[in-house]
Amino acid sequence: MRKLLFLIIAVTFSTVTFRASAQDNLSPQRKQAIDSLALEKVRDLSKYISIIGDKETQWSDAQRVIERAVELFMESSEIGVSSLNRQDVNYYKVREYFDRLMQLNYSKVAIDWYKIQYVSDLERQPDGTYVGVITVYQRFQGYDKEKGLVYEDTTKKDITVYVKRKETQIGGRTIGFWDVMLGDIRVKETSK
Amino acid sequence: MTEILDKCRTIRWRHFMYILLIALIAIGTDGCKSTGKISKKERKAQIETAKKQLQSIVDGSSTLSLEDQDRLISDITNKNYKDPTLNQLLLEASQKLKQSYADQAKANALKVDAARAKLLDLILNKDNKTADQLEGELDAIKSQNLKDPEIGELISRLEKKIRDMRSFNSEANLPVKTQLENAFTTIANSARSGNLTQADASIKSALQFFSSDDAPVLIIISREGSIVDYDKPTTISRYLNFIRDQKANKNMIDAMQLDANGKIKELDLIKK
Repeated sequence: MRKLLFLIIAVTFSTVTFRASAQDNLSPQRKQAIDSLALEKVRDLSKYISIIGDKETQWSDAQRVIERAVELFMESSEIGVSSLNRQDVNYYKVREYFDRLMQLNYSKVAIDWYKIQYVSDLERQPDGTYVGVITVYQRFQGYDKEKGLVYEDTTKKDITVYVKRKETQIGGRTIGFWDVMLGDIRVKETSK
Repeated sequence: MTEILDKCRTIRWRHFMYILLIALIAIGTDGCKSTGKISKKERKAQIETAKKQLQSIVDGSSTLSLEDQDRLISDITNKNYKDPTLNQLLLEASQKLKQSYADQAKANALKVDAARAKLLDLILNKDNKTADQLEGELDAIKSQNLKDPEIGELISRLEKKIRDMRSFNSEANLPVKTQLENAFTTIANSARSGNLTQADASIKSALQFFSSDDAPVLIIISREGSIVDYDKPTTISRYLNFIRDQKANKNMIDAMQLDANGKIKELDLIKK
């Protein structure tokens, strides 16, 4: 009886270990796929920020896009806001940041993200989550109806990304998917 | 002659009448007895015929339709021959008939299933068939004369599709996969050019291919042997708006799962 119990435990343990190791040792191709996926989520965010900031975006569209943008972030994440006119960087919760972005006091706003790349590659953590840092450059331009361009700056920002493999059931199938969540967006430097 | 008349006079007429009456009764009784003998024979013949008919039902060699077999069993039962062998055959024939009805229903259901699947394929026109080819296949299904409301409805839909294909050079003659990929491209291009009204119209139109706005959409990011990695699952409504927001169509269709109405109930995409 003891031998049987031992055998069951051994088989169960080896199965779990095998499945876990299958996820631990990602092939270069799979690793590249999740690297690209995380970068793509940041690019998605850049489009959302551009839409939310655009004064021509209808309110209902902006609200829908804010929802999608918020879903990209981990709960309680913060986004830094800097200005050439002050030293401090203000940090806001994600939803508040988007609400403020939508209400900026310019007649026209243009936001463009570029040079989106890893500054720290995704590394596997003990709990199986892959964590990395992506850096972006943001070009911000604020226009006044009469004066034209009244403010512009370029900000370098670091975004922490968390990627974790999860499973869900869809149509009777078990789907293994990579959940990419963005963390805080920290302002690294702001220049004209 | 005189002698004869004398003898006649000697006969006791009363006795003669009695004898005549008895004779008539006897003849009458005999006649009845004779009729009874014929009825028995007939009954026996009828039972034998019934047995043969029932036996052919039991061993499955009857050439009668199931409805006629049913009627025959009822007729024989109603005649109540009280023949033990016949009664046993009646029981066996009834069971056999019940089984035959069940087999017929099963075979019919299989035909309906096959016709439904075929019709859905033809409606989707995955193989990009011409209107004439579709009509040929439709006629073959119609000739089966399947009495099923759903089949009737699908036939009507396919007839309409064939009419549409013939009446104008519409998108209806393209496979659903192509139509859907075209819709993705139109949404992205319309959004990029700032024509959000057109993008929204294309979203509305594309949603009609799906069983619901919440139909799951899975995006494959990597496929290595049996290991498939997906992006976080989304819904078709969200995905179409995602294309609109991102102004780009980054994925192509990998697989579609359809429901009984030929609508897409699950969509698998893969990175281009």
